[in-house]
Amino acid sequence: MVDKIKIENLSCYYNKKCVLDSLDLNVVENEILGVIGPANSGKTTFLRTINRMNDFDVTYSRKGNVYLDGDDIFDIDAENLRRRVGTLFAMPIPLPMSIYDNITYAPKRLGLVAKKSDLDGMVERVLKYASLWDEVKDRLDASAMKMSGGQQQRLCIARVLAINPEVILFDEPCSGLDPISTAKVEELMIELKEKYTIVLVTNNVKQASRVSDRTAFFLMGKLIEVDKTGKLFVSPKEKETEDYITGRFG
Amino acid sequence: MRKTLDFIVEKIIFICGIASIIFVVLIFSFLFKEGLSFFKDFGVLNFIGGRFWYPSSDPASFGILPLIVGSVFVTIGACAIAVPIGIMTALFISEIVPKGIRDILKSLVELMAAIPSVVVGFVGMITLVSLVKNIFNLPTGLTAFSGSIMLAFMAVPTIVTISEDAIRSVPWQYKQGALALGATKWQTIRRIVLKAAMPGIIAAVMLGIGRVIGETMAVMMITGNAAHIPHSIFEPVRTMTAAIAAEMGETVRGGMHYKSLFAIGLVLFLITFLINFIADLFLGKSKNT
Repeated sequence: MVDKIKIENLSCYYNKKCVLDSLDLNVVENEILGVIGPANSGKTTFLRTINRMNDFDVTYSRKGNVYLDGDDIFDIDAENLRRRVGTLFAMPIPLPMSIYDNITYAPKRLGLVAKKSDLDGMVERVLKYASLWDEVKDRLDASAMKMSGGQQQRLCIARVLAINPEVILFDEPCSGLDPISTAKVEELMIELKEKYTIVLVTNNVKQASRVSDRTAFFLMGKLIEVDKTGKLFVSPKEKETEDYITGRFG
Repeated sequence: MRKTLDFIVEKIIFICGIASIIFVVLIFSFLFKEGLSFFKDFGVLNFIGGRFWYPSSDPASFGILPLIVGSVFVTIGACAIAVPIGIMTALFISEIVPKGIRDILKSLVELMAAIPSVVVGFVGMITLVSLVKNIFNLPTGLTAFSGSIMLAFMAVPTIVTISEDAIRSVPWQYKQGALALGATKWQTIRRIVLKAAMPGIIAAVMLGIGRVIGETMAVMMITGNAAHIPHSIFEPVRTMTAAIAAEMGETVRGGMHYKSLFAIGLVLFLITFLINFIADLFLGKSKNT
């Protein structure tokens, strides 16, 4: 059990308003850490701090430390960090280009792959991994905007895999998907944890219970409880957790 | 009662809508009629290919090649200056500058567009012309180059405002997606933002070019108004618009000279039409991919 990400006493603010309060949490290598909690609980802020997407928000400020493999993430180049920590957003947003270019965009920019033949192989590999290859292999040059929502989300997963990150953050990855696509994405996440470390933020409590190894419950910017998923859902230590997972509030 | 009101409003809207189309058709047919009768007398090739514009000598020569070359020189020069500056300014305003300054900058640029072209022309005549003359050591500062700079100055606001709108309407999610994949800010701007905003930027450039080609006053005051074929951009030229504006008052109504000016108008109209058409082709193309 190696800690991949270690968060120490992290507090985050928008316009000085505290949205995440002295968080201590660790993410273990090759696990899926589920993060659940009602709206305004700080889940998304938590994710956007780990991949430093919040750097773009001028009203945002923070205290505390986050380490990735022992490196302070605020000392690493933001671009470099985002290469190591891939993100999947709630809304699947393909870039406005072809399916093929969507996948090769980042590796090309980052200089990960040089030769055309390597690119082809990489595209096939990640599309197969995201179980999308069979559906799109004949139309790789078609615009990614014309795919269905579920396909777009899987394309986004393939796109993240193409930069070969160490950690993948899923930000409510199934909120816009039908049950069948959701099942596919969940299956995929379980496959992916063999190679990657995954943080799954979700509004869907059941999804967390199906997929994650450990689950953390956030409420009003505070971490209420984190434990093995089986334990947290069967015998939560805190009353708030119990109320939330049984649907009594939130 | 409500039905009649509905009917009336609908008809009024219909009339307003169709009015602009009718006006365009009317203007075009008027130009066409006057221009065609001129072509019958003088010949299209002699007109467009003719190297000498001597409308009032005897025999008169109505070759507009000098005017076309003049317009082309000034337009290309203005675009070469205005397009890069305009797009970069738009990028700067929408992507780089902090929010508070952005609004100030944008309204300043829009204010720039509101300066009447006569004012631009005469400020340019006083400041720019002598500057160009001294810097390049020319016999006169009234050149195509000075005209290009002045027109660029007038086209920049159009290009900036419209491309800035296009750039700003690129969904944040695109940028977010690219950034989250580890792209730098500049890579994101170049590959995603510019690409997604391209139809709008092309439209902005085309409108800018339209403004440049059609501009009359400033160009007449600054380019020196010599209707001869220039050998470089540092010589005086006369543009098609300037010829029409300067000479229309001196012509005999219904005479050859008068009709030749309409024919120039027709040529101008066709050129602008062509530019719009090409722009539409580009826009259609980028929409399909």
